Amino acid sequence: MSGVEMSDGRLLLAEWGFGRAGGDSISNGLTLGLILLVTGLILAVPHSTRRARNAGGILVTAGIASILYALPRVGPWFEVLVFWGLALLTVGGSAAAISMRSPVYAAIWFAVSLLGTAGMLVQHHAQFVGVATMVVYAGAIVVTFLFVVMLAQPEGHELHDRLSWGRLAKAAAILAGGLLMALLVSACSAVLSGDIPRSGDGKDLLDDSSELARLGNELFSVHLLAVELAGTLLLVALVGAIALMIHGRERRATQEVPHA
Amino acid sequence: MPEASQQLFNYLIVGGLVFALGMIGFIARRNLIVMFLCAEMMLQGVSISLVGWGRYHDRLGGQMLVLFMIAVAACEAGIALALIVMLYQKSGKLDVAFWQGVREEGRAAFVDRNVPIEREQEDHWPRLTPAGIEPTLDEEAPLHRSRV
Repeated sequence: MSGVEMSDGRLLLAEWGFGRAGGDSISNGLTLGLILLVTGLILAVPHSTRRARNAGGILVTAGIASILYALPRVGPWFEVLVFWGLALLTVGGSAAAISMRSPVYAAIWFAVSLLGTAGMLVQHHAQFVGVATMVVYAGAIVVTFLFVVMLAQPEGHELHDRLSWGRLAKAAAILAGGLLMALLVSACSAVLSGDIPRSGDGKDLLDDSSELARLGNELFSVHLLAVELAGTLLLVALVGAIALMIHGRERRATQEVPHA
Repeated sequence: MPEASQQLFNYLIVGGLVFALGMIGFIARRNLIVMFLCAEMMLQGVSISLVGWGRYHDRLGGQMLVLFMIAVAACEAGIALALIVMLYQKSGKLDVAFWQGVREEGRAAFVDRNVPIEREQEDHWPRLTPAGIEPTLDEEAPLHRSRV
């Protein structure tokens, strides 16, 4: 099977499995995966019927699987498997988050996608950033989302969740997104040639046992001003959020007075 | 093909996919909270590719940017959720189409008149065969139990 010449689309599967050296198989797999992903999303994102959503879920999964299968495999098979699992969690969780009708499910699928993202960051030796993503995003932001959803819309999906903007607008949005994906993928393919010079000294981040210490050193020396600015920004946002709430409430109260 | 650039390629692809999915969700969905969640998803995709580039160059700059991005995203979440709660208090809905008339003073409002309406057959409730004796209904009951 490895000797099969890839002359048409029907032999793609044989090509992917064995003749993996060329860039052609990668681009073919990515193209097929993107087409499957876009088709599946058109079926899955509301508004659509239950059967269409199930079929869309299967198509989206197949699309992600074929994209991952087409990507070049780096390192031993165990690392490849871990990468596949994490990338499936990340992309699949994102796709599920935008296709769920109920905002609660959307938030939970976004948390699943965040789990995958944090795993990918840890796999890239960005342990601290991965843990920060988990704690800040999944722990704080998603929980705040859920809090607001429970406050505002505790009955699950409503009319505007089920319908969205209608079928035509949905298809147009997803095609635009698919175009963006294709553009990003084709722009990224320049990376594969290896022409982009690496500015580092070639020292692996993992080899340095005090990676976290290096991160802290750089954060509080090179980026000290930015740390202070980020702290100020957080404070300003906190004050701003409270001011927004108080101001909104005051205006409502003054508007109600003349009627009473 | 060197291994480092292959790894970078993989992470860029995954980051780009998450970014594009977030964009699709932001355009296609109508719920304010889900739209905002999709904006966060786009940030997530960017952070994956930033860490990928940082690994490629063996520098910590990418991770630094992601850390500051998390801080900015937290601020953004606080402000935007406060705004959403305020809008919800005024309209009673999380529907962004309710606010499509919002505009600068003195400008004509753009109002989308083609917002879809739900048809009966699209509601997929299970149809049960009626059985037993029909109970006598209290006439006042639907007045205060609107959801029954």
